[in-house]
Amino acid sequence: MSELLAISDLEKSYDKGRVRIPVLRGVTCDVGSGEFVSVSGRSGSGKSTLLNLIGGLDGADSGRIVVRGSDVTAMSRGELARHRRRTVGMVFQSFNLIASRTALENVTLALTFGGCPRPERKARAAALLDSVGLKHRLDHRPSELSGGEAQRVAIARALANDPLVLLADEPTGNLDSATSDEIIGLLSRLNRERDLTVIMVTHDETAARAVSHRILRLLDGAIVETVDLVAEGPAAATPGGES
Amino acid sequence: MTFGDIFALSQTNLWRTKLRTFLTTLGVVIGIGALVSMVSFGSGMQRNVTETFREHDLFRTIEVMPGGQDLERVMSGDLESAGEIRPLDDSALDAIRALEGVEIAFPEIRFPVVVRVGGDEAKTTLQAMPAAMGASRPFDELPYGGFFESDDARSVVVSQRVLRELGLAIEGEPATRRSTADSLKPLRQVAADEILGLEIQIVTSVLDEARLMSKIAAGDIFSRDLPLRQETVSLTIAGIRTRPSGFEGMRFASGLIAPTETVAKIPRMGFSSVWELIDRDGQSGGYPAIHVRARTAGDVTPLSDEIEAMGLNVLTISDQLEDFKRGFLIMDMVLGAIGTVALIVAALGITNTMVTSILERTREIGVMKALGGTEGEIRAVFFVEAGTIGIVGGVLGLLLGWGVTRIANLVGNAYLRPEGFAAVNLFHLPLWLIAGAVGFAILVSLVAGVYPAGRAARVDPVQALRHD
Repeated sequence: MSELLAISDLEKSYDKGRVRIPVLRGVTCDVGSGEFVSVSGRSGSGKSTLLNLIGGLDGADSGRIVVRGSDVTAMSRGELARHRRRTVGMVFQSFNLIASRTALENVTLALTFGGCPRPERKARAAALLDSVGLKHRLDHRPSELSGGEAQRVAIARALANDPLVLLADEPTGNLDSATSDEIIGLLSRLNRERDLTVIMVTHDETAARAVSHRILRLLDGAIVETVDLVAEGPAAATPGGES
Repeated sequence: MTFGDIFALSQTNLWRTKLRTFLTTLGVVIGIGALVSMVSFGSGMQRNVTETFREHDLFRTIEVMPGGQDLERVMSGDLESAGEIRPLDDSALDAIRALEGVEIAFPEIRFPVVVRVGGDEAKTTLQAMPAAMGASRPFDELPYGGFFESDDARSVVVSQRVLRELGLAIEGEPATRRSTADSLKPLRQVAADEILGLEIQIVTSVLDEARLMSKIAAGDIFSRDLPLRQETVSLTIAGIRTRPSGFEGMRFASGLIAPTETVAKIPRMGFSSVWELIDRDGQSGGYPAIHVRARTAGDVTPLSDEIEAMGLNVLTISDQLEDFKRGFLIMDMVLGAIGTVALIVAALGITNTMVTSILERTREIGVMKALGGTEGEIRAVFFVEAGTIGIVGGVLGLLLGWGVTRIANLVGNAYLRPEGFAAVNLFHLPLWLIAGAVGFAILVSLVAGVYPAGRAARVDPVQALRHD
């Protein structure tokens, strides 16, 4: 796998009142193109912050994040917007769909920001929703969808502009176990079929083991262990299919 | 993201909160409506005055008054240093008539009379005017009949107000009785043709010298029985005029207008003005004013200078117009300021709505940023929302303002017509006001949207995505 993402000495801290709390402390790692990497760790270990920094939603205090030769930490606000639009697609625990818009409109909005020509948007959004198994839910609003369906819409939206990396922040955190398996399976299928790089933050290491090539264990803002599932053997390294 | 995308996104957002958008827009509608109706009232007043001046040829008019005295000193009782009065006598009149550029000059002669037709009578004043005035405004276009042909014609132009006092209403004209004493008597609707040619009696009071002498001889000079006798002259109605407008009114407001030579033959008291009373030399022809009509408006200034050089006081409409313009400017500013206050309140409403909207849509803004929306695009979405409220509010406010002016015009004219005034357009909505009102609404809305749009653009996406 060719290197897609290189993170080196990444530091990030937040001010909480007068106290400065370090969240990431010298994180260094690489992610290859087409790799499925899971990031696990306890709450507050810095998993989501790492994802936000890779996604360009937040800025690092120091260190570098280089995606295909472009240093995200050195980007202007406009360049960061372009990075979020073109390079990464993001999926969140709470779906973050716009409640007043239908499934189709939520996906269309991403295409709009991505600069997709207006006449093509509907068809492309419908095709994306079809690819995540929601052909029959195009005109439903988030409140009319189940948790699993809502997360599928969010995944379709994240894929709208053909990103290099899909960043999934606890995508199964709000779902029951059966639906969680479905979503993990969907992410795995996208990884395999589209050769899409996926970085997934999760609490559920068991599920992560089934689909990931590597697991990065974070503790107090630092990577304390890297589990290379490919090296561990075919059974552990072969991501499971969509159930 | 194209402007079309930004526009579509903002319209969807506005439509989503229909009631709030409607109420916010309503604030702008009312603000612009108030601004438009008030400024168009000021504009209408100004236009009416200027048009009336032009209609009545007032730009060619010069009013000449006695001069020579310092009026401030006269008022303070310092008559000795106030200077000599330069009265308006026949020599002054002849000198004015001889000036180059004078078309007509005639003295102010006006006195009280009683008019009788059948059993009805009305009190009014009779004014002398040369027949040549029949070629000038407003006498060249009387609503009924015409002006008298010659200065010795036995005819008179009567106002509709006097006719109503006499119990006569012209068919088709509003019939409101003015006189309180006769208010209960019904008016008789008569065709204008029946009134034209009608003979009326003009009754004047003159001093009965024989009775005065006998009263003096009897030592009875303090009794309330004045030594007066009445003289009656018959004149024929040649024309009927409406109530004079306010600007010509003070000069030609008499209920009756008759030719100069005919008026000269009507017996009346030995004076027509205070000037004649205090004219101790007994000379005749002391007039309170001389009305001058110049050949062209361009003759007015040189003529005024020449007449002033004679030691007389001069008043031209141009002088008054400057005062009017100053007054209108102040009125426009006050009316505009009131309307602007309404619009500022509406602008605060827009800001409030937008800020509330941002609070509600914080998470959505975070999503837009996560999807790659730039600060500029998000700012533009909110800016277009504010601008849309401004455009829609401005256009609807314009329609509201126009509607209010139409209704106010109807109501105003419904009161004015029965009073004998011609129908007027009290409001004027010029093109600059139409464009200015909508433009101002958009500008104010955009200014109101600056802060909320900036705030939306600065939303931290990480915080926003966690926002409940």
